[in-house]
Amino acid sequence: MSGSDRLTSEHARRRGRRRLILRKVLGSILTLIFVLVFNFFLFRVVQTDPIGSLFRGRNVPAETLENLRTSFGLDKPIGTQFLFYLKETAQLNLGISYQTRQSVWDEIVVAIPPTVALVGVSAVLSAVIGTLGGVIAAWRRNTWKDQSITSGTMVFYSMPDFWLGMIMLVLFGVVLGWFPVGGMTDAGSNETGLALLLDELYHMFLPALTLTLAYLGEYTLVTRSSLLDVMGEDYLTVARAKGLRDVVVRNRHAVPNALLPVVTLTAINFGFVLSGAIAVETVFSWPGLGKATADAIRGPDLPMLQGLFLLFSAAVIFFNLIADITYSWLDPRVEEI
Amino acid sequence: MGEPLLSVRNLHITYHRQGGSVPAVRGVSLDIEKGGSLGLAGESGCGKSTLANSLLRLLPPETEVTGEITLDGKDVLTLSPGGLRAVRWTSGAIVFQGALHALNPVQTVGDQIAEPMLVHETADSQDAARARTIELLGRVGLARPRATAYPHQLSGGQRQRVLIAMALACDPLLLIADEPTTALDLMVQAQVLALLDDLKQERELTLLFITHDLSVLTYACQRLAIMYAGRIVEEGPAWGVFENASHPYTRALAAAFPTIGDRSSRMAPSGLGGDPPTPGNLPSGCPFHPRCPLAEDGCLVEEPSLRVSGPGRSAACILV
Amino acid sequence: MSLAMQRRRATAGRVWKQFRGSRQGMIGLSVLAIFIMMALAAPLLADVRELSPVYARAAGNPQWAPPGEFPPLGTDFIRRSVWAQFVWGSRVSLFVGLAATVLTILIGSIVGILSGFVGGRTDAILMRVTEWFLVIPFLPLAIVLASILGRSVWNIIFVIGITSWPSTARLVRAQVLTVKQRLFVDRARSLGGGGTHIVGHHILPNVSGLILANATLAVPISILTETTLSFLGLGDPTAASWGKMLEEAFVNGAMTRNAWWYFMPPGLGILAVVLAFTLIGRTLEEIANPRLGGR
Repeated sequence: MSGSDRLTSEHARRRGRRRLILRKVLGSILTLIFVLVFNFFLFRVVQTDPIGSLFRGRNVPAETLENLRTSFGLDKPIGTQFLFYLKETAQLNLGISYQTRQSVWDEIVVAIPPTVALVGVSAVLSAVIGTLGGVIAAWRRNTWKDQSITSGTMVFYSMPDFWLGMIMLVLFGVVLGWFPVGGMTDAGSNETGLALLLDELYHMFLPALTLTLAYLGEYTLVTRSSLLDVMGEDYLTVARAKGLRDVVVRNRHAVPNALLPVVTLTAINFGFVLSGAIAVETVFSWPGLGKATADAIRGPDLPMLQGLFLLFSAAVIFFNLIADITYSWLDPRVEEI
Repeated sequence: MGEPLLSVRNLHITYHRQGGSVPAVRGVSLDIEKGGSLGLAGESGCGKSTLANSLLRLLPPETEVTGEITLDGKDVLTLSPGGLRAVRWTSGAIVFQGALHALNPVQTVGDQIAEPMLVHETADSQDAARARTIELLGRVGLARPRATAYPHQLSGGQRQRVLIAMALACDPLLLIADEPTTALDLMVQAQVLALLDDLKQERELTLLFITHDLSVLTYACQRLAIMYAGRIVEEGPAWGVFENASHPYTRALAAAFPTIGDRSSRMAPSGLGGDPPTPGNLPSGCPFHPRCPLAEDGCLVEEPSLRVSGPGRSAACILV
Repeated sequence: MSLAMQRRRATAGRVWKQFRGSRQGMIGLSVLAIFIMMALAAPLLADVRELSPVYARAAGNPQWAPPGEFPPLGTDFIRRSVWAQFVWGSRVSLFVGLAATVLTILIGSIVGILSGFVGGRTDAILMRVTEWFLVIPFLPLAIVLASILGRSVWNIIFVIGITSWPSTARLVRAQVLTVKQRLFVDRARSLGGGGTHIVGHHILPNVSGLILANATLAVPISILTETTLSFLGLGDPTAASWGKMLEEAFVNGAMTRNAWWYFMPPGLGILAVVLAFTLIGRTLEEIANPRLGGR
């Protein structure tokens, strides 16, 4: 490609990027629609009689049940039911829990903040610590620093996260008594404000530690791998040839290039924030979406599971989109396509 | 005729890898006078890029480097890390090959050119560095807007010019050009060569030009050194070596490039058969003997040293 | 023996030799061998009747007995020998892990090969489906399917297989595309080789190395997923896996009693087996892609 000039104007670049983003957004919406279809039909296959299941064991006259069925449109053809489902979902009317008989949405909403707090903090910590570990491991590759970091994280990554939680809980909660053994607050306490927040953080320590340890391995591995790839590149030799210090070469030239896939990974992992701690929340009785899922399994509380699945999927789809867009914004080589 | 700007004495470079040691450079000595230009030619694997990188100590830390490299009066191999960093880019700068990989993909080319100015404080401020960058870009024939471009947005020829501008950022005394015209088409090659020639003259640059393309060197350099299997096998004034080679390898290399306009060179079969030897697995005696049309029995026994083959010329062949 | 066969034999021999030289590979292989032998030799190592609570009660076992009191690994909340559960549980965990991986690899490879080789619209459709599966959160999907299908070993294997194949499919497809670009496929076509011939003789051999490495790395995921699903109560109530042991330990208060002998062994077993497969998988990857060696 001699002589030709691929320097596009800033304007054209922005236009190309906008087109790219639009395409990705449409793609995400399409995926969400598939999820809704899947969600509806899968559960409809099993829930042959939702009204009956809802009122199982209760003495409700058959006529009332029939009226309810009609009002829920269960006598209509499946296509109409699906459209009804879409309409209801858009209005956040996700049905009624079999177990608590409350609105699924209400149950879910209450469980979101504890999960966001716990998994959000753990996600940030594991990303930061894991990435730092990966940078050190790669820059000092094959030294004892690298090997201990790599082996250590590999061990944590190879164990069931909830088992690690069990060990933490027994060791630090039961045996040593340093931390509470479950829940988000002390039962029966009426603390408010700052005292309540501190109590919640105190309860959050062990589950957050568990999740952070379990997931930093992924960041360490990806960062290390990515940085090793970059370290083989000529422009690092050039940077050294210019007289830059080793640390500057690493931080200014190597790491920014190596971080691109890590950023994508982080954004994607934030999508899994909501669904990432199902088993760990169960171990620590943390009142979040994970525990709600575990409780719903025991029913099986199908409306709850349906609602939770929809929420989890939507979160992942959304954050995958953010990840895509962030990457295309950070890497100047991505223009259109 | 003072001290040469660059003086290399008995340089040995050995890579140590898991499979064993690989001697990439086996006893090279050369000098370049201030303002002079030396062309270093050879096929891939002969050690010329290794040699180039070693001049600024850019080889991986496990590499064993012995001998002496004196640049602008300083002993490169024994400099402290701080001293080495000060010398890099100011005493000697490299124009690397493979321009796309030699540039940081997520940084604008302007920033990459300005960077050494700020590190070595040859520019007083960011603005001064920016001004000088644009000046340099202009000197290599690139317009001002290119400064904010990313490497992938430029063509191969433009990237090569960026590398040249970048190498000149701190006004180096020695410019090492490592295959600067490889992978460029002929038109662009000619432009780059002309540019290097101009720059050499106006800034009194000392030039070390490395390539596998012999015809390019005769245009750009005063003297020529031919490398084979980690050693210099012939040395002398450029035209002399090209027209009237003493070493059979040089002769083959020179003949491998048909001369435009000379129909006979097109017809005569030339070009060297076989492959260059792998550095870890050299043939006995003279490493060229398997491919040499003039090889004799004595060539398998002992590796010939450089011997005088004419005024200011030497070649490593027993036939000299 | 045909030339192709000979060459394949030679390659296998070379791979084995390289593998033998890798310390991490041999450690992984040895650990795995120990556990496989334990699973196979289960009847010799522990009486299967000890898994029955009725038998345990009749035998007069104590409840919650630590290993000191009831070697080698103590008893659980209904007096069963933990050692017996550990030994027999290894069978289920390993079997489900391996079977689910086989299913994953099978589906993933078929989709990947079809997609890559046939191309065009088939490729576009299959890739859309794959992407969709990749976007859906894996564990919730598994939970949903398992809740609906019911609790049995085969359902769990099916669920894991159905949710894990996409990443294999993507990898295989990429490799098939690379192989397709190589000249010899065109040559085979010009020699008159039909689709199945090309796939069988040219594509498969060049893709099988990648599939093998991917499989060894997929087993840990299958095992960990089965463990989590069992822990959440979706496992087969009749087939006690290590995950089920952890569930029963948790649900019946092993933690508050610090009955470490109940929940440590299954976790350690999982950790060991997963690490073993990971080491083997990494070694195979390094052999297949020498560029990674020395990392």
